[in-house]
Parts: sequence; structure tokens; C-alpha cells
Amino acid sequence: MPAHEQTLQSLMRHQSAARVRRWRPDSALWLLCLPALLIITPFLVACLYMLRFSVSADTGSINGFSLQAYAELAQPYFLRSLWLTLKLAASSTVIVLMLAVPLAMVIVTTRSASWRRLMTVVVLLPMILNLLIQSYGWILLLGPAGVINTTLLQLGMVERPLILLFNEKGVLLGLVQTSLPLAVFPLMSSMRAVSQEYLEAASGLGASHWRSFVDITLPLLKPGLIGAGSIVFAFNASAFAVPLLLGGRRVRMLGLAIRDMISPLFNWSGAAAGGMVLILIITLVLVLSTWLVSRSDVRGGS
Amino acid sequence: MSRVGLLPGEGGGSYRLVVCVLAGIGIVIAAAPVVIIFIMSFSAAETSSFPPSELSLRWYESALALFRSDESSGSQAVGAALISSLQVALVVMVLSVTACIPLAYALVRGRRRLRQGMELLFTLPLVFPLVMLGIAFLLLAESLRWELGLWRLVIPHLALVVPFVLRNCMSAMQSISRETEEAAISLGASPLRAGIDIVVPLMKPGILAGLIFAFIISFNEFTITFFMYTIDQSTLPIWMYSRTVSSLDPSTLALSVFIILIDLVMIIAIDKIIAGRASLF
Amino acid sequence: MKSAAGMAAALAMPSIVKAQGSKRYDGKTVRLLTWSDDTGLAVLNHIAKPFEEATGAKVIADRTGSTSEMVAKLRAAGDRPQYDVITLAGVGGVTLAADGLLAKPDLNQLPNLEQVDPQFRTGADGHGIGYLLWTGGMIYNTKTFSEPPVSYAQMWDESVESRLFLPPATWTDALDTIFATSVMLGGDGRDDDAAFAKLAELRDRLLTFGENPTQLVELFRSNALDIGGVYAPAFFAKELANPEQSNMGATYDLEEGFFADLMYTIMPKSHPGDDDVVHAFINYTLDAGVQGVMAEAVLNGPVNTQAVMSEAARTSPFIIKPEQLSDKAVVHDKNFIASVREDWIKRYTQTLS
Repeated sequence: MPAHEQTLQSLMRHQSAARVRRWRPDSALWLLCLPALLIITPFLVACLYMLRFSVSADTGSINGFSLQAYAELAQPYFLRSLWLTLKLAASSTVIVLMLAVPLAMVIVTTRSASWRRLMTVVVLLPMILNLLIQSYGWILLLGPAGVINTTLLQLGMVERPLILLFNEKGVLLGLVQTSLPLAVFPLMSSMRAVSQEYLEAASGLGASHWRSFVDITLPLLKPGLIGAGSIVFAFNASAFAVPLLLGGRRVRMLGLAIRDMISPLFNWSGAAAGGMVLILIITLVLVLSTWLVSRSDVRGGS
Repeated sequence: MSRVGLLPGEGGGSYRLVVCVLAGIGIVIAAAPVVIIFIMSFSAAETSSFPPSELSLRWYESALALFRSDESSGSQAVGAALISSLQVALVVMVLSVTACIPLAYALVRGRRRLRQGMELLFTLPLVFPLVMLGIAFLLLAESLRWELGLWRLVIPHLALVVPFVLRNCMSAMQSISRETEEAAISLGASPLRAGIDIVVPLMKPGILAGLIFAFIISFNEFTITFFMYTIDQSTLPIWMYSRTVSSLDPSTLALSVFIILIDLVMIIAIDKIIAGRASLF
Repeated sequence: MKSAAGMAAALAMPSIVKAQGSKRYDGKTVRLLTWSDDTGLAVLNHIAKPFEEATGAKVIADRTGSTSEMVAKLRAAGDRPQYDVITLAGVGGVTLAADGLLAKPDLNQLPNLEQVDPQFRTGADGHGIGYLLWTGGMIYNTKTFSEPPVSYAQMWDESVESRLFLPPATWTDALDTIFATSVMLGGDGRDDDAAFAKLAELRDRLLTFGENPTQLVELFRSNALDIGGVYAPAFFAKELANPEQSNMGATYDLEEGFFADLMYTIMPKSHPGDDDVVHAFINYTLDAGVQGVMAEAVLNGPVNTQAVMSEAARTSPFIIKPEQLSDKAVVHDKNFIASVREDWIKRYTQTLS
């Protein structure tokens, strides 16, 4: 590293003298995109394959053209799942952001390196352990005879065990848990980039912590927040394992409904059509959030 | 390093309190199930009642015995599953990061239009319902009739990790100023050299986070792998699944703790090898 | 009894007895797909392993998935299956046979079929060979019920509110539940409108669907569940043997009857392995000794009428023997089930979740 920094500094000194030409044409940039495009090509082919399947006249194979699969989605069976999915994805996104911002703040500002490491690892944990196993952890904790219910019953605070799992609450908790790391990490990098001077200036002006958080930190974090929020929303809207394991199969999010169409209903064109609708909706949300980011970029730049 | 302005060290009254309480709730939610599984894996009892009345290492012994015994064959062998999981995860990690570094560069330096379109394109795998993607990849792989071997799992995993790797590389790239790089070029370095010698080292924290995310996601991926695995090419999460469906004895929990350790060792190793002082932590 | 079984086995595979040094199928491989739950584990331990020892063949087992997931995988693989032999529920065999994906086994190469009850020998239009009987009744909490419940109506009792489970919509047991509800209401099992109206009353009283048997074990053990059905005792062989610790009991003795489904072993067309060794494997699943051991291990009903069972297994109330399938057992007309299946799965889901 020191060697790099030295070259860097000497380079910086020379740089100011030279007026740099526009040295990189767009074609070179496209070339740099190539390896990644190559890697993602099979996925794009799979997308097109599903799109083709969704307009197949046959439910089990690609054969002919028909919009039947889409027409059949206009049933309460599917629409209720869609509504539930959007509701849970949106509320989990709000909760995740409310937890992830303070968490990222605490991690970034912690001075002790070992505490910082420990917290980073803990935040990664939900991604590391098999969800099936984690769901047992939740049952032991929150189940009808879990630690919390037993304690509440013993203290006489409730008469019957509270049903904390196998319903929307349980699924929401699982969604928040599994997507927390996805929000914390991008927010940590955004916070590292928040200029110290703004905040110091604000506190110098006598602004309260709340004021400077609302007026300065939040606007500066906005692109990071929208980025993290959209990734969490997309991730949770297509969730499958969490509603399966913590919903007791009673909370039918779209991921589950699509799986049921794949097997045992073997309505593969219907599953493809359902998937396409889900993707379309999530993509709209993402486009909207990209638009919001770029608008705030423009405002920040001007 | 610390950003004192973000969170006051002392005082700060209600603001500091609220921030700390919310962060605490976040930590508890993230860790609770894992902590319980961890404690249970040391239980001395046959059943999984919590908290355990007595502690022992017996389940670790029986988990170790699983690796030693050759009773199981085919996709049921845990050792083979572990090895192919590691192989897949390492290949996915290296390839995805190698592809995302130039992409992140191009997107950050390129026009806004290019960037927005590409970003959306590379977020798409995140949006796709995994079950759906699994069946799509399976149908494609079967209709192509190629013998893909390891690549049968690597290819879908690559699509899955790219959104995460790219985001991490891009956020690191954004903090590198154009001047640094242009200075090198003005001194006669080729754009490629400038990129490799100056930009890539500066991107390290992002690359590191990308490598770690890629490894974790691929190593623990279940849904797509469930469709794509074959009798000869299976992974550890698949093995764990077929084991836990039949019975959840505490040796499975001990095994889970092993898996967490493997993940952590890999994370720390990657951090040590790549990071130097730019450690993720 | 034992020597008779031994004789039968010896007659079935005389060459094994002759050639002691090099076994008949040395170097050959059978690729087996079976369930991920305990029943699949039992296939591995009580069929695959002894088969390897007896014949020298190697069995590579894939023990992941439920019947409908197996069907999805085989459909996706089309004419290039990776498996030689599959054990699965009746409806899966019928579906795959209708798709034209299955080969018809040569019955002459399956001498053990002679000991099998004639009504359970083959199915799925000759593509499926009878394997074992999957039986479903009610699971109950032995702490709550000193006597087993005698009717499915017990699930509507207010005392079991929020302590109740039902089978998930994706399982055939859910279709059985709809059928049982209709019979309970005095119908013939096919009167679905009335059954769904009655099932709707359970929506808010349900704790969970029994998607994951291990989860159910945990919930019973912690005394959070009272009752559920239609569900197979087969998942709980260990727990039912030890009710003091598991709190679990099971009964088939219900006014509305219990449910029995013949499971099949099937052989996909153009499977990778040798026909000979695959037939030998299927034949081995029907061996009197093997059937007895399997019945005892996973509480499935044996189809071999001479199945060799221990005294405990013979008298076990949880294992249904072919001769016990009196008028109390409901064996579905597979065509009827196929015709209502999709509609019932959807309505069951909508009614209850």
C-alpha cells in the first residue's frame, strides 16, 4: 500500500499541469461490460425462456401461443397473493431501513476495531445459516411453547400462548431478519462517504442532533437509502423460503403461489406468467427508485 | 476513521438513545435464531427443549462421525457435498468479481443512460422468483443436452451473486476520483495499466465485500440448486435439507455451527489475503 | 415363516447363492430417487444397503423431494432421466405414466410379485409396481386425549382452537381431508361445496399446516398442538413408539374411515442403468423380509401377504396389513382424484389461508 500511495501522490502533483484529453471512447467502456454481460447471458436466456413459456398454449410445455395463462391470473387465488406480497415487501422494507440506518451508523462510528468486526459478522449471520435451521431457532424462541411464551405465561402476563409465528407477523419478522444485511452494507458505505464537515458545521451552528439528522444526514444518505430500500423490496417481494418456513404455509406470498403452480399443480405456463407479473411490478418499483435517485443527484449537483 | 458527527460519542440525549436502541433491536433480530441454534448444539439432551438443562459436546462428536463414515453414497455423502459446494463457491466468487470490476468501472465512468440501464439489467436476477429461475434453468439445461458438470451449478449461481458483487464494486468505485487515474495516463501509462495499477487497488474494500457476498450466497444457495443438482453434483445445503427433513437431532445443529465456522474462516481468509489494511471490518 | 422367506429369496435369485465370490451385479449401478423424509431414509437403510450386499450392485440414492417434486424433475428431464428407479406416491406414478415417460417393467423378472396381494401388484396402467401402502388417519396429543379421537369432527371442537394442524394443500392428504369432511357431513366424499364450507370454520383455529413433519414433532413435544389430520403416522415411527416424551398418538379407528394409497416403484423410459439390475432391485423391494422390515421402520402397510414381521409389528395398530383394509379404508378412485385435484388444491388453499 505505501508504494501505491507514493506513486499516487507524485502522480497527483504532475497531473495539475497537464490538461487531460478525452481519452476513452464509449466503445472501450462497452468492452469492459463484456465479461459481465457474458456471465449473465444464461440468465437472460432463462428469462426469455420463461417469457416464451408464459404465452404457451400448453400448461406443461412450450407449444403454440395463448394469453390464457395471464387471463387466469385474474382470480382471487392469485390477486390476494399479489396484494399480500406487496404489503409484506413494503412494510418489511420500511422496518429494515429503520433498523439498518441506526445499525450502520453505530458500526461505522464504533472506534474499537474488534467490536466493529463482531457487529459486522453478526449482521452477516442471517445470510450464512440455512433458513431451515434458523426457522427452528425462531420456533424455540417464539413458538407457542417457546422461551418468550413460557416466560409470559409464568409471569402471568398472558393467559394463552401468543401466536407469534405461522402468521403474517412471523413472516414479516423473517423477512426483516434475512434482508437486514442487504441494507446495512450499502448504507455503511454511504455513511463513510457522508462529509464530516457538513455535520460539524451543523453542530457548530447549534443545530440539535435530531435537526442535523433530519436536515443534513438524511438528505445526504438519500441515494444510499433508496438503493438499499429497493434491493430489500425486490428481495422480499420474491421471497419463498421465509413464508414457507415461518408462515406455516398460511401466508401465501407470491413466491409460494408460484411454487405451488410448478408442483403439484404442474401449471408451468401459469407459474411463468405469475413470475412475469411479479417481475414487472418489482421492476417498476426499481425504475421509480432509480428515477428518484437520479433526480436527487441532479439536485445535489446543481 | 470514526465519523463522530454521525453519532455523538457522549450526550446527544434522546437522539443517541433512539439510535442505539434501534441498532440493538437490529442486532438481536439478526442474531437471535443463530444464537439459539448455537446454544442448542451443546445440549446434552436427546430432545430439543430450550434452554438445555445440561451441556455437552456429544453432538459435535456425532457430527464428526458423519464425515468419517462411508455408509452413505452418491448425493448422500456429506464430504463430497462439502467439496463440491466449496468448488462451486470459489469459482463463482472469482468469476463474478473478475467480471464486475471492469463493469463497475465502465458504469461509474460511463454515461448516466448506460449506467441506469445496466444497473437495472444486473439487478434483474434479484427480482426473479428463485423457484421460477430454478425450473427455467433446469428446463434449459435439460433441453440443451450438454454435460455441464460443475458448471450446471456455477452458471445459475453467477447470475444470483452478480447484483450483490456489482453494487459493492460500484459503491467503492464511486469514491475514486477521475483525476487520480487521469494523472497516471498523463504520465504515459496506458489506460489499462492505470486501471489495473491505480483503480483496482483503490476499489479493494468494495471488491472484498463483493468476494465475501459471492462466496456466502453461492455456498449457502438452496432454491435453485434444489432444481439443478444431479446425483453426481450436489451441495452441502441440499445434503442438510434431506437430513433435516427426516429428523432434527442436535447433531444437525452441531453441523450448522460447523458450516457457520467454514463461512467465517473463508470470510476472514479472504479479508486477510486481499485486504491488507483496507479490511472490510 | 422365516425359513419360508429365505426359501423364497433363494428361489428368486438362485445365482446369488451359487456364485459366492463374485456377486451377480458386481460393477453395476442403480440410480434411485426417493423421498427426503424418514421413509426415504428407510429405503436407503433397509432396501438399498442390503441389496448392495446381496448382489454387489451399487445403489446411488438421491433422497430429496416429495412426490410432486419428483414428478416435476422427471418431466423437466423428459427422455433423458438421470434415475433408474423411483419410489413415489400413487398419483405421481399415474401422472408420469400418462405423460408417457415410464417404461413397463417385465413382470416375469419380478418373481416376488406372486406373494403380493393381487389387487396391489401393478397400477398406473402397468407402469407402476406396487410398493407399500401409505395410510393416513389422525395424529393426536396423548396428554390432551386419554382415549384416541373417534371422528374427524374432533377437529372442530372448540377446545382444540389454535392447537390444530391440517395437511398442506400440496399433499394428497389434503384431498383426503376434504373427502373425510364430506363423509363426516353425511356425504359420499365428493360433495365438495359442503366440505369446503365446513373447512372454512377452521381457518382461524388453525395453528399451522403440517408442511414439515419435524416441525410438528417439535410442536407436539412442546405441547403446542392437540390434533391434526388427515396425516400419515408413517412420519412419526420413532415418536409414536415413545408417547411419554413425544406426546404423540395416532389412530385409524375413525367413524369416517381412514385412507390408503398404493405407492409404486417406477422405471423411467431410457433410464441410464441396466434393465436386469433395475428389475432385480424392484423385485427386492417386494421381498417378504424387506417388506416386513420396511413396514416396521416407517409404519407403511406391506403389500406382500407373507411379509415377515416381528410380533410387535404384527400387532401394531399403526401398520395396516392388506387383510385389514376392510370397508373402513378409503382407497380413492385415481381417475376421480385426477379430475378434481387441481380445483380442490386451489379451493383448499383459498378456504384456509
